[in-house]
Amino acid sequence: MIKIKDLKASVETDDGAVEILKGISLDIPAGEVHAIMGPNGSGKSTLSYVLAGRDEYEVTGGSVTLDGEDLLELAPEERAAAGMFLAFQYPVEIPGVNMSMFLKTSINSIRKQRGEEELNALSMLKLMKTKCRELGISDDMMKRAVNVGFSGGEKKRNEVLQMAMLDPKFCVLDETDSGLDIDALKIVASGVNAMRSPDKSFLIITHYQRLLDYIKPDVVHILADGKIIKTGGPELAQELEDKGYAEFVGEAA
Amino acid sequence: MKALKLDNLPTPKVEEWKYTNLPRAISADLVDAPVQEITIHKTRGQICGQAEDILFTGEAGALHSLRLKIILEEGAQLTVLERHDGSGAYWKNMVTEIEVGAHARLNHIRLVEDSGEGVNTNMVHITQGADSLYNGFTLNIGGKLTRHEIHAEIQGQNAELHLNGLNLLAGQQHGDTTILIEHQAPHSQSNQFYRSLLDDNARGVFQGKVHVHQIAQKTDAYQLSNAILLSQGAEMDTKPELEIYADDVKCSHGATTGQLDEEPLFYLRSRGLSEKAARQLLIEAFVDDVVEKIGDEELEARVSKMCRQWLGGVLSIHHKGSKDTKFLKENK
Repeated sequence: MIKIKDLKASVETDDGAVEILKGISLDIPAGEVHAIMGPNGSGKSTLSYVLAGRDEYEVTGGSVTLDGEDLLELAPEERAAAGMFLAFQYPVEIPGVNMSMFLKTSINSIRKQRGEEELNALSMLKLMKTKCRELGISDDMMKRAVNVGFSGGEKKRNEVLQMAMLDPKFCVLDETDSGLDIDALKIVASGVNAMRSPDKSFLIITHYQRLLDYIKPDVVHILADGKIIKTGGPELAQELEDKGYAEFVGEAA
Repeated sequence: MKALKLDNLPTPKVEEWKYTNLPRAISADLVDAPVQEITIHKTRGQICGQAEDILFTGEAGALHSLRLKIILEEGAQLTVLERHDGSGAYWKNMVTEIEVGAHARLNHIRLVEDSGEGVNTNMVHITQGADSLYNGFTLNIGGKLTRHEIHAEIQGQNAELHLNGLNLLAGQQHGDTTILIEHQAPHSQSNQFYRSLLDDNARGVFQGKVHVHQIAQKTDAYQLSNAILLSQGAEMDTKPELEIYADDVKCSHGATTGQLDEEPLFYLRSRGLSEKAARQLLIEAFVDDVVEKIGDEELEARVSKMCRQWLGGVLSIHHKGSKDTKFLKENK
């Protein structure tokens, strides 16, 4: 499914280019959920932005393929059409664009790129209603501007709603647990779990082990200073929670 | 320049701010242009369901000395639709006098579509009585040079003044909005909300001043100017001013000028929208926020359609894409 090979990326600063990802290799076969855990500044968010195609990060080496297709060659919207989805750590507010209009435009843009017919208003409404109900999202929220005035929980639920509606193959969740209370966390996790299937893969980026209690990963990677320093089973997350990052980072160094 | 008409020049009363005594400066034999004058007068309590629709058409080579008077007596209600068009090069030199009496309500919508070579200078003087409402909206998409100068005097308590505007300018256009609001009575409210989209080498100017007199306690004044520059050559000049002599007031102002934000653009693209579609959606939303202030669905739809047409032209010519991505990076 998704193959990341020796991925290196840097960001331009006032003091010149600074390398943030220093050679990340990762294979996520279809149907698997992988988690990446790491301390602040380890490059977690950079990885998610690089995968989604944000242009302020420059890829300086390596490759990323989704079902054999070179993702790095594609514009962000083409990656979305190829089946890549990023649930943002900080979902962006878009004043003046209401939710239902946004979802409709998004779904039809992707369908159009894939050469599929646009969804008619009725099917769209049905899909929206079903997914909203599953995630406990009110009709009222659909009339509001995208993320404007949403609470932290509403913003994250909205990310999962979009994920559910766009039905991607490969989902990256960037610290989706941050800013969530336990109830919102459960809703978000069950939304993700409902999507798990043999033909989808997930990359869950998180700082804490908490989310992984609700979304059980198949593999856990520890990221530090732009590199994966340890890979293991779900038990690694618990070990990390008990011992803290310092021990692992020290071990690698 | 046998063109100006002495009695169409601003007086000290009208142009209290930065007054130049033109009638004295210009000798009488230089001026003889005819003045075209329109007066709309609604008497006490007259409520007009039908909007007054006025069209000023500029003719090539002409100097138009225009005078528009709108007088609403106590309790009268009216919507005025003031439209401007024209062809060729001309100068419309216009003075507008508006009196909104106590409890009267005036909606004043200006659609400025002057010709690409036309000049439109408009000095507007507004006085408002107690509990009155003036709701102004200007869509400016025409003219080589336009200046819309508003001097509003809020003379009665509890009056409400709204000045909203959209400047959509391209090519070599220059659009100037200059405002002076004087709060001369307590408990009154004023809002200024202007947005500009500037393409090519267009230049926008927004100068807005709120003057709160000492007597005008509990004044609530707000001012906001947002401009988006769509090209390297576009320019926006903004000068907000507050002059406050009362001690119990709420006054604020804000001004932004820049390109479209990258974050929402990336967010939309990550959801499958092309860069062009994402830009269009964001720009339409930027424009719609002001159009919604008109408060009349039919007129809003009409204005919205005009804006869409303008945007359609601009966005299709540019085919943004790589050119603009580069532009954004250079400006970081």
